[in-house]
Amino acid sequence: MPADELRVRVGVDVVGVERLARLVRGDERRQATLFTARELDYCRGKRRRFEHLAARFAAKEAVLKAFGTGISQRMRWTDVEVVNERSGRPRIVLDGAVAKFAERHGLRDLDVSLTHTEDLALAQAVTMWEQGEPCAST
Amino acid sequence: MADVDSAVKEAVVEALALDDDEVTPDSTLMDDLGAESIDLLDILFRIEKSTGVKIEASDLGDYIQGGVPDEEFSDENEVITAKGAEQLKKIMPQTDPSELEGSLKAEEVITLFTVQNLTEMVKARADGAGG
Repeated sequence: MPADELRVRVGVDVVGVERLARLVRGDERRQATLFTARELDYCRGKRRRFEHLAARFAAKEAVLKAFGTGISQRMRWTDVEVVNERSGRPRIVLDGAVAKFAERHGLRDLDVSLTHTEDLALAQAVTMWEQGEPCAST
Repeated sequence: MADVDSAVKEAVVEALALDDDEVTPDSTLMDDLGAESIDLLDILFRIEKSTGVKIEASDLGDYIQGGVPDEEFSDENEVITAKGAEQLKKIMPQTDPSELEGSLKAEEVITLFTVQNLTEMVKARADGAGG
């Protein structure tokens, strides 16, 4: 499909690293609510683990904002997973209700970029959809 | 267990860094008070700490939908059906089914969820429905 027949939607989110850390530090159940086992494994050995986790949480939010939904009923945070290519580049894997939403609404492409400092983690998501498929706005 | 009304209000005030008088039972968490997902998590974790009632964010959808299957709650365009609107009235009495049916999208339902709705959910869980 030519690019001019696609609709672009973006989403962005910023997360306080310490706030995220306070919510999940030392609580495996909470961590498992927000992150997949792969995400937790990736971040486990990192010196700045909570920066990486905060960036992943921001990515989930950014993706859902690009979808026009934010987190909503039926969707789980683990439905949006950040995995890393060998190069370190993040890639999004969708599952569950979010994957179904993407399929129903004609998602054609999805990319994400992450950045973080000691205090803040930021993610931007760009999505491309088939024209005419409505995405609710937030 | 802490008084649920107070515990929920305190959780909302503290998680969102609001003044006490900014949070009323009728305030919608997302639209009126500006809560984002991480705020919602923070609120639920604070409620768990003060009341012992554990609610996952993903439980909200199940609670709101009340066992009505997805395909009956909303249509193929994800717009709330008459049955869905009636269910919402039970959980969110402030809503008017005639206004929601055929116009509200399923993913927008959560934006109508108020402090009072959350309080009632915590009470229901505390009363033994799986808290």
